[in-house]
Amino acid sequence: MSIHDFWTPFSLYPFLNALFIGISLASIFFIAALGLTIIYGAMGVINMAHGEFIMLGAYTTYVFQQFLGVPFLLCLPLAFIVLALIGWIIERGIIRTLYQRPLDTLLATWGLSLILIQGIRLIFGGQPKYVSVPKFLDFQIEANFVHLSGVRLFIILFAIVIGAVTWFLMYKTTLGVRVRAVMQDKEMAAAFGIDANKIYSITFAYGAGLAGMAGALFAAAKTVFPDMGSGYIVEAFLVVVVGGVGLVGSMFSSGILGELSSIFSYFTNGTFARFILFTLIVVFLRFRPQGLITEGATRR
Amino acid sequence: MDGNLYHNRKAQWAAYILIFVLLALVPFIFDNPFTLNQFSRYIIFSLTAVSVSLVWGHGGILSLGQGIAFGMGAYGMGATMQMQFQDPVNDPIPTFMLTNELEKLPLVWEPFWSTPIGLSLAIGVPTLFFFIFGYMMFQARVAGVFVAIMTLAMLAAWYSVVYDMQPFTAGFNGISPPSPFEIFGTQIDPYSSTAYWVCVAFLVILTLGTKFLLHTKFGLIVQAMRDDPERARFLGYNVAYYQTVLFTLSGFIAACAGILWVMVTQYVSPTSMEIMLSISMVIWAAVGGRTSLLGAIIGAFLINLGQSYAGDEFQKHWLIMLGVVFVIVVLFLPKGLTGLFESILGKFSGNNKGAKQKA
Repeated sequence: MSIHDFWTPFSLYPFLNALFIGISLASIFFIAALGLTIIYGAMGVINMAHGEFIMLGAYTTYVFQQFLGVPFLLCLPLAFIVLALIGWIIERGIIRTLYQRPLDTLLATWGLSLILIQGIRLIFGGQPKYVSVPKFLDFQIEANFVHLSGVRLFIILFAIVIGAVTWFLMYKTTLGVRVRAVMQDKEMAAAFGIDANKIYSITFAYGAGLAGMAGALFAAAKTVFPDMGSGYIVEAFLVVVVGGVGLVGSMFSSGILGELSSIFSYFTNGTFARFILFTLIVVFLRFRPQGLITEGATRR
Repeated sequence: MDGNLYHNRKAQWAAYILIFVLLALVPFIFDNPFTLNQFSRYIIFSLTAVSVSLVWGHGGILSLGQGIAFGMGAYGMGATMQMQFQDPVNDPIPTFMLTNELEKLPLVWEPFWSTPIGLSLAIGVPTLFFFIFGYMMFQARVAGVFVAIMTLAMLAAWYSVVYDMQPFTAGFNGISPPSPFEIFGTQIDPYSSTAYWVCVAFLVILTLGTKFLLHTKFGLIVQAMRDDPERARFLGYNVAYYQTVLFTLSGFIAACAGILWVMVTQYVSPTSMEIMLSISMVIWAAVGGRTSLLGAIIGAFLINLGQSYAGDEFQKHWLIMLGVVFVIVVLFLPKGLTGLFESILGKFSGNNKGAKQKA
């Protein structure tokens, strides 16, 4: 046993490759956390079932592809729609009653995630399922120091696109103005004639739909199994909280966390990297609990 | 003073004593060693639920990371028990270390040759960690949801460490000390009533001690902070101090549960630090009634009994039922089953008296 068993020495090309993998990781974190950012930012709702929304999106894609022969690219908007519907129902049913109780929302959504995981396991069984990658994405980039699969490249591009679309929706449309008004102060927005409850439903549905799309993408990149959501939930929350619960903040924090995760993974291995990263985040949050980028809003 | 029997101090103590006496009598009711061992596990789980009830139900701090202390205590006990088996001259290194090509016992393991030191470390290290971690969080006025997320992240981080440091912790295989725990010259058989009564003793002492504490001024201040930390601050109380002490105490209780766990199961693995286990502790306390220590014990017992005796057909549906029960409890019964009991008692005692007085 020596220190070398834990610590890989530095060499340029593998390190640069790690940086590129970091971008891919960052894009995955970003897409996974985007829905959560919207939901937590707009409503202050801690949705512990977010990972399960991702998982449901993956299974939706699997079902559509396997049994209905739907091409992969079409599965993305379909996953969005399906999850948006599910999210809408859940918001109306459960979340609506818990708005003033954030801790209870956390626990109730955790119970919900248990139900979803086990329900999917009962329907589909515990074996991993596979979503086939479409032909045009089935390539590998093998340049100097870059080893990236086509799917991961697609995820990076998709992250940029969906980030831009969400930004556009939030900042350039009337709906976005309404959502941001409700985010800042629900009562005042309602006093101005905005139907706050409807905005909440729409926001939750949108966040769930985003998670569904994330699941569809991840289904192509990895395997589909009932527990897959749990791997994303902690990271997604950390991205949201470190970023300061805002769109731009999540962008930055997912970038930083993705890169750091990759760099630490390069020097030690995956699980130890997680430990270092999480400890750093805990320390960071102790000194800056409001996160990286905060816009002026009512303190929740 | 309202007439609700639930709030009557003497009635409360009577209930606690009654339940504890019943628990102590279990070995006389059930002869089967396997059943006894099961009950020992339930006792340990209810101890962890008590730690959650203390820090969350009374302190308002939702800690999803009790597993950190539980797991650290468990691993400390595992190391102690393992080294009890090892012989310093002929067989100083545990087998799993030899499989991982370690030539010498790691420095971290050295103190565990001595059982008293091993036990002190098993309880002391997690308590100290909770103290430092809690101090860091509460000094920065991290509250509510953020505490939950940070404890969750910390738990996930520690799980990764323990899972990965295979030479030191035997990784996902876990440590299985070959012989039962030995103290004061006798071995404690995990399937014996001795082991059961040791667990009950811990439960009784820690629960009653905690209840005493909650009846003092400290307890009142802590509950004030649960209901409104800002107001407590304005009244001049150092909220961070009280929260840190409470958090540390809950870590201590969870660590005690951890060492009992390995005494009773003779096995420790990263599962002790799994997210699902820590959140289950919260579920037990929530269902039973987080504002009551006895409620947490009852909740832990009920759910675990249900899980064990759900039978094969139910086993598949068990997690769904647990999730549904949990959602219902959170939505409609925020104070859990004991809260329901409290309102029922209230209907019988409080209202009638009030109506009479008004008339």
